[in-house]
Amino acid sequence: MSKMVLTRLGMALISLLAVSAIIFWCVEFLPGDAAERILGRNATPESLALLREKLHLNLSAGERYLHWLTSLLSGDFGTSLVADRPVLDYIASRIANTALLSGFALILYIPISIGFGILTAIYRGRFTDHAISVIVLIFMCLPEFVIGILLISIFAIKLAWLPPLALIGSAQSFGQLVELMALPTITIVAAMSAYAVRMMRESLIEVLDSSYVLMARLKGLPKWRVLLFHALPNALGPAINITALNVAWMIGGVVVVEAVFEFPGIGRLMVDSISHKDVPVILAISIVMTGAYIVTNLVADLLVILLNPKLR
Amino acid sequence: MSGPQPVAKLEGLCVDYRGADGWSRAVDGVSFEIAPGEALGLAGESGSGKTTVAYSLMGEQRGASRIGGGRVLFQGRDIFSLPEKDLLALRGRSIGFVPQNPMASLTPSMKVGRQIGEMLRFHAVPAPQGVPARVVELLESVGIPNPAAAARRYPHELSGGQQQRVAIAMALACKPDLVILDEPTTGLDVTTQKRILDLLAGLKRETGVSMLYVSHDLASLAQICERVAVMQKGRLVEAAPTRSLFERPRHAYTRSLIAALPRIDVPPEGRLEPLAAPAQDALLEVDDLRISYARGGFLGLGRPSSGSDTVKGVSFTVSRGKTFALIGESGSGKSSIARAVAGLTAPRDGTIRFNGQPLPALARQRPMHLRQKIQIIFQNPDSSLNPRKSVRSILARPLRMFGTLDAAGREKRVIELLESVRLPASYAGRRPHQLSGGERQRVAIARALAAEPELIVCDEILSALDVSVQASVLQLLETLQRERGLTYLFISHDLAVVRWFARHIGVLSDGAFCEIGDTETTLSAPTSPYTVQLLEAVPRIDASPQIVT
Amino acid sequence: MSVAEIDPVASSTRARIGLSASGWVGAAIILLYVFVAVTGPWWAPYGATKILTGSPFEGASLQHPFGTDNLGRDVFSRVVFGTRSVLTMTFAATILAVLAGGMIGVVLGYLRNWVDEIGMRIVDILISIPTLVLALLIISAVGNSLWLVVVTVAFLFTPRVARVARAATLNVVTNDYVAAALARGESTMSICLREILPNIMGVMLVEFAIRSAFAIIFIGSLGFLGFGAPPPTPEWGLMINEARANATNSLWPVLAPAAAMAVLVIAINLLADSLSRLIDQQGVSPAKGDK
Repeated sequence: MSKMVLTRLGMALISLLAVSAIIFWCVEFLPGDAAERILGRNATPESLALLREKLHLNLSAGERYLHWLTSLLSGDFGTSLVADRPVLDYIASRIANTALLSGFALILYIPISIGFGILTAIYRGRFTDHAISVIVLIFMCLPEFVIGILLISIFAIKLAWLPPLALIGSAQSFGQLVELMALPTITIVAAMSAYAVRMMRESLIEVLDSSYVLMARLKGLPKWRVLLFHALPNALGPAINITALNVAWMIGGVVVVEAVFEFPGIGRLMVDSISHKDVPVILAISIVMTGAYIVTNLVADLLVILLNPKLR
Repeated sequence: MSGPQPVAKLEGLCVDYRGADGWSRAVDGVSFEIAPGEALGLAGESGSGKTTVAYSLMGEQRGASRIGGGRVLFQGRDIFSLPEKDLLALRGRSIGFVPQNPMASLTPSMKVGRQIGEMLRFHAVPAPQGVPARVVELLESVGIPNPAAAARRYPHELSGGQQQRVAIAMALACKPDLVILDEPTTGLDVTTQKRILDLLAGLKRETGVSMLYVSHDLASLAQICERVAVMQKGRLVEAAPTRSLFERPRHAYTRSLIAALPRIDVPPEGRLEPLAAPAQDALLEVDDLRISYARGGFLGLGRPSSGSDTVKGVSFTVSRGKTFALIGESGSGKSSIARAVAGLTAPRDGTIRFNGQPLPALARQRPMHLRQKIQIIFQNPDSSLNPRKSVRSILARPLRMFGTLDAAGREKRVIELLESVRLPASYAGRRPHQLSGGERQRVAIARALAAEPELIVCDEILSALDVSVQASVLQLLETLQRERGLTYLFISHDLAVVRWFARHIGVLSDGAFCEIGDTETTLSAPTSPYTVQLLEAVPRIDASPQIVT
Repeated sequence: MSVAEIDPVASSTRARIGLSASGWVGAAIILLYVFVAVTGPWWAPYGATKILTGSPFEGASLQHPFGTDNLGRDVFSRVVFGTRSVLTMTFAATILAVLAGGMIGVVLGYLRNWVDEIGMRIVDILISIPTLVLALLIISAVGNSLWLVVVTVAFLFTPRVARVARAATLNVVTNDYVAAALARGESTMSICLREILPNIMGVMLVEFAIRSAFAIIFIGSLGFLGFGAPPPTPEWGLMINEARANATNSLWPVLAPAAAMAVLVIAINLLADSLSRLIDQQGVSPAKGDK
């Protein structure tokens, strides 16, 4: 087992490295070089040359990549061109905010996905299944920003129960924080769990049709025991695997949700930085997001290995 | 039948399945009884409804089905009108079940000891020594070595035979009154089959439990059951004590089933010895063949070492116009040899000569005329025929590739080929899924014939077919051999089939021959212990305790 | 395994061929959208970018079925015009992705050697970059035009399609009819075209449908973030973005394009579900789930 985990870990590191190269290469194509971007109209040939020297722009792209990578490894993400402060400093609080949002979402996401997945699978073809499946399908087909705007129109504008924007910097108490985070959290959960419920349903239905579940029923075991001990452990694995693959997609969802609610997270910072061409920040956030995806998949892999004795 | 109340009784049971055009009857008015301590065999081919009958005895309805009429009584109680709670109390406690495929039927995420233990707990079966100790005792009683360790294993860590033993232990755990066995030996190796059958016979003697033994294999039924019932297309056509059923079958279908049984001791009727070829020349010579699937080195680019060989230096010669049989259990390397001859697997070492010429390893490297002369037929016609092509297009492909016929000529030839495998010309327009398993295998044979080969490699081509279909396919192969002087390399696990079909035989064990030679001599006086073991494992009707000849 | 009991349930459902009712509903709605996209410009009441067709923020009326936006543009006309740009972008991107990804997947799945190994590693790495992040990077690097968005989306979807196509191919190549073709000495091209392709067509069709649903959402999200088609293109995501600042004044400009998008995506999903069930019944199951 430990060998398998090490291989996965190695693969994850290689992926991260490759991704960093790809992203660096993409950013190379941003129009104009960093020095021109910073100085803008005030640029004089002398100041440009000076700044280029400072930003190592006179080196080749490969050399700059290596330089960037080595300083990255020592924890130096460079300096933000817009805020003129160390990138790590600048994005740390944003990362914390996004992590908070994801954490809130995850707490709701897991029980909802598993619970509704089980409900639809055991009542397959009956009213409960159809009703839940229709709702799930609708949420799956609505883009995050549409869900978010709908929630704002209903709960913030029409009913005025909750604030429309999640400016959590102004939160005074935990209660207020929950109030501010409610709408973005619900938006993410709705969009993400719709998909997970479907996966859980499909996976569980396949397991419920298996010979070993039939065998467990023919042993005279009560229904709850068959479901929880014979079916569920074997259905969770495939559902986790497939859902984890979609995290790369869902991270995009978080970016959109943060934009909708003007939530001060790293997704919104990413969009802002792209408009400002703040290259060091863009690079750092891309790496952080990709890292998050890779770590999620690693955790999912480990969970699946734990659930399936054949892989241990 | 008078005497004590039967354990189970079926009264005119009808079961319907919902199909594309409404309900269709799968089980049609089946009645029988199982007396205490009696083992009843339920025989029949795929789709005869025997499995449906077995499940209905446990009150289980599969898929979209309904009870169309009749009753199932277990110890006098109508099983389909029992409340859920009582039914659950009956299942496992009074009716044990041994499934067809133990690998798929044991929960993969739970240790086998717990799977047996939970039955004892939920049915509150008293176990004075404690549940774990009782589980170990049960595992020991079904002959699992080191039962305490086995109880802590997951199903996939056990061999197929051991998995089936676990399932049997589970079925007997609560000391039930009736055990239902659904094809319990299907899919196991012959020698393992034999051991499981011995175990079942022993357990029946010791515990006196009633059994319903469902199987397509009359020979194994004969070893366990006092009575055998035969089902055909949902109807029970005959039920009789085992001995009289075999000696005096009344129904034509039963007679055909018995006649189709490959008997190792009696040559089938009307069998003609293939005409002796003019000369005993060798068509295929295999010399020191070694095959490995292991991939060595980084990314599998290096060469594998000899330690990982699946086939370890096999040599044999197949004479023109004769049949050479390769016998062995799964994993013995017999199919690898077949694939190497057909050019699908590159051997690691060794040579294969055809007509005296060395053959290039892969089919693609072989010249057209060699590819044409060597054809292969696969085990499973479901997989060997492209489901998206019509029979016509499947047969026309080799004609187009190897022949010179124009479109009209090909069409004519397709019809001739269909006729030569005894299929109607109208089948040319059908897709494979519109044919039965036996018909599909005939199409696969016709495809091999289309190339006009000299050698046909037959890789387990009977094992996916029903017994009666097996016999007719075998007969077809024999006729074709006589008419066209074909040479067969016949791969099989079934000694009984091979004995009367092949002139020469090689017994493979773990990638090497343990015996090779003339079939008659080899099998009448085997020298290797493995061959002796294989021979003993072949179910023999006359060897059963119920029939004394 | 030797003799397997034929499951009467499985064999009976196999006979029932054809789309389910919900599949037909989905297909009908998609056709309606295509019709609107093709003919809309002839009968839409106003031009897509014509301002002050009425006063700003009008509610629904006979003149303006979906009201007007902050510039007094007719929302209904903009949604109708939007159908054309959205469908064109979506289908162009999806067709490109399915063709490229399908080809890569079939070849890798057929080869199953070190090329496959390396190819799949690259695919895995590309998939692990968050889709939207990469799209934003590419688009901001090269500039945003309609066709650039199409190419970017196609590029992002290609490795995902390749993965599905490869999985489907792996299911097919293990069949003995491929071995039979190899033993006959058929060329790689012929095996891919005659033996593999017909058997993965169904899976690829479903993949195409699912992928186009994602493409609509994705292109919408890009538009919403301001990285899609440039204004004043009547693209639904962009329209929602422009209108949401004024959501307190009128919800019509927000809800109308959102509903148009949602209904289309739901219709495509209904059709895809029905198609994949149809294919499941025919025994070739598509690789499920990977977005």
